[in-house]
Amino acid sequence: MLDEKKPRETIETEIPLGTVHPAALEPYRVRLFVEDEIVQEAEITIGVNHRGIERIMEGLPVEKANALTEKVCGICSNAHIWNSVRTAELGLGIEIPERASYIRIIMGELERLHSHFLYLGHGCEVLAHETFSMRAFYLRESIMDLLFMIGGNRVQYGCSIIGGVRPRCELTDERIRTLREKLDAVEKGAADFADRVTSDTVFISRIEGVGVIPQKQALKLEVTGPTLRATGVPKDFRTIMPDYEPFDFNVITQQDGDVKANLMMRVLEIFESIKIIRQALDNLPKGPVVDRSWEMVDCDTVHSYIEVPRGTLYHSYALEDGRIRGSIIRTPSMSNIGAMQYACIGDHVTDAQLCIVQCDPCFTCTDRAVEIIRR
Amino acid sequence: MLNILITVALTVLVCFIISTLLPGIERKYIHARIQQRIGPMVLSPGVMAPIKFCFKENIKPRASVPGLYKSLPIICFIVVLCILAALVPSSYIFPAFASIITIVGLLKIEEVCYVFMGALSKSIMSLAMPFPDVIKGGAHLDVERSYMEDLSAKRALRLISYGSFPMYLAIFAPVAASGSIFLGDIVAYQHIHGPFLFTLSGIIAAVVFFVGYMILLNDYPFAILKTKADVIEGPYMEYASKYRAFVFITRGFLMFTLGVLFSVLFIGVPPNIFSVGIIVNIVVALIFVILMGIFSAFSPIFTNRQFFPAVIGVSVLGVLAIALGLL
Amino acid sequence: MGIKSFSRKRAIHIMLVYTGGCNGCDIEIVNAVLSPKYDIEQYNVFLTWNPREADILVVTGPVTRFNEDPLIKIYESIPDPKLVVAAGACAVMGGVYKNIHGDIPSEEIMGPVDNVIPVDAKIPGCAVRPKDILSGVVASLPVLLDK
Repeated sequence: MLDEKKPRETIETEIPLGTVHPAALEPYRVRLFVEDEIVQEAEITIGVNHRGIERIMEGLPVEKANALTEKVCGICSNAHIWNSVRTAELGLGIEIPERASYIRIIMGELERLHSHFLYLGHGCEVLAHETFSMRAFYLRESIMDLLFMIGGNRVQYGCSIIGGVRPRCELTDERIRTLREKLDAVEKGAADFADRVTSDTVFISRIEGVGVIPQKQALKLEVTGPTLRATGVPKDFRTIMPDYEPFDFNVITQQDGDVKANLMMRVLEIFESIKIIRQALDNLPKGPVVDRSWEMVDCDTVHSYIEVPRGTLYHSYALEDGRIRGSIIRTPSMSNIGAMQYACIGDHVTDAQLCIVQCDPCFTCTDRAVEIIRR
Repeated sequence: MLNILITVALTVLVCFIISTLLPGIERKYIHARIQQRIGPMVLSPGVMAPIKFCFKENIKPRASVPGLYKSLPIICFIVVLCILAALVPSSYIFPAFASIITIVGLLKIEEVCYVFMGALSKSIMSLAMPFPDVIKGGAHLDVERSYMEDLSAKRALRLISYGSFPMYLAIFAPVAASGSIFLGDIVAYQHIHGPFLFTLSGIIAAVVFFVGYMILLNDYPFAILKTKADVIEGPYMEYASKYRAFVFITRGFLMFTLGVLFSVLFIGVPPNIFSVGIIVNIVVALIFVILMGIFSAFSPIFTNRQFFPAVIGVSVLGVLAIALGLL
Repeated sequence: MGIKSFSRKRAIHIMLVYTGGCNGCDIEIVNAVLSPKYDIEQYNVFLTWNPREADILVVTGPVTRFNEDPLIKIYESIPDPKLVVAAGACAVMGGVYKNIHGDIPSEEIMGPVDNVIPVDAKIPGCAVRPKDILSGVVASLPVLLDK
């Protein structure tokens, strides 16, 4: 496998796409530098989504700020609130009930499932394979139903609070039964979907060898999450998170780093996530879901990392009188932008958006630390 | 003379009315059924959408030469109309008009129109979008910038240069078998010797024709002119109101006309409103639409890596069909 | 009912413009279109990405600074008659991003959509559910039919 893709020196024209484009689920601008329809270089400009969340969070009470972190992203909203709450818990030294930790992990893994199904659906749509795309979205719908059942909303669930999870997210016996039933159906559907995708030779020939990110480059560009694992690096933050200690799961890796590897990566991770949820449901400890006996104290800047569907998410802030100081959020897409630009090199213009999509971008998450110059 | 004109006009009119149903049939009964959903009304994409567009405001398109750009879909429509008129048996008394050369020439005009459309259109969705991206620190600030429709124009040129080979090779296979370029002679030959479709050469040529049909109609997987992933709608980006209605109508009409062309060249049944044979024409057109719908629902968009081998392989088959026909 | 409104009712093209929301509404709208469970096409509503083709512009998000000009341009590109549907809390009233400061104006958010382009229908919700999108788009139709 080649270590580095060498773009040609000559660039014929530039084709800017965006900010509104069918292949992108969020606004961003990409400038493609092409020669004879082959992309020689790509430049992604973000900052279109900048809403200044970190500045809004400055000085807010910590409970309010936690609810606000959820609005950073509509896909991995639970991951943001979970990590933000974890930051406060680390700073205040709060031990949460074991049952709450399990419910958080169930929510996190359900979110990973819906995010990965979204990835598959969106990827197939960019490939113009409407049928596969609709199948993936259909499977995703049962996960959304489960999230709606537990969280009470389809996108922003507000599940984690400092000291545990919200009592309304308690897993009753009936909910557990529904979870098990739906997960069985989803697993069957996902296996069928994977079978169809891998047995479709035209589809495989279309995605094989497209958007390659060599392992060396991926490490150099600080790529994170499934995009890194698809290049053969078994790096998953879940393996060193104390929350995930009781669970037995495999870190999936693929070797090629192309679109096919990335797609298979997500498909296989879906099965691992279902496995984790099953384990959590089997061993769900009894007890309360929230411990409200904590006290607010001041603390220095706390750093917290967590593995979200797209990679490693980082939150940090300090607490002062129960208010937030110096909040920083770094989302996985921030470190994957380099890989997105790199993956486009040497591929056809039609594949450029696919190469960006294969890294599972979430620029709405990412657009926060941008300086805006007044016109 | 008047009699001939009335026959041609009536046939074309009936064909046109049926052709407006085809996009709806493809969308509702093929795509939606495969995707396990209900899908739109059958009349919606082919009939209601063009009527709706007729009642929209007639804006000035963002194009280099708006007048020429606006006239192109009408030229395309007239071209398709002429092809269908040439296929009606009453026009076989004008051999110069009802010949393979005329049809190939008209199809070429249609393809050239796409090049012009792509080159003229200057849509808001790419370069014209107000966004400060050429700024200090940006990459390659001195490079020439182009609209994404220019890509479409280049691809349309490619389609002219090699993409439409399968179609023309398949059209010439019956010519090779019957030894005449005049439609009247080809039909007469098939009346004597049986349909060309049921020979070995005919079967191969029919497969080639079908691939050429999909390439000419720009349906997935061969829709490189209007890929959603980069050029969105490509040459058609800037059409609004009546002109967009023409774009919608022309697509359905071309579907039907190519189906009729197949039934004339391969089965020997020309479209005539006063004969039962027109049912064969309609059935053939429907079968083509259904097959195309199935193929397009199950395949991703092709890039050069798949497009070249597909076209080359099919073209080789087409040459083989012609060679077999000559033997 | 004339042929104008008759045909308009049976073929509606919507265009989706996202102006910097949290992605939740965007994906729910795409879900309403692409998921066979909701399937917006059964109501003869088609998704398009070409402003020249669109009848209804569905806007999500609180219109950030960089999105203001593109939104206006896209709105101007749509031929009359046209409708604008603001979907989601951010598009309707700026959401948390605009309102959390209280009276202090936000520098980044130019929205809600009302401030930038005229809005005909508003769909509340954070995030909007696919069913709400369907009912919102269908409920705004009478306005379009009379135009």
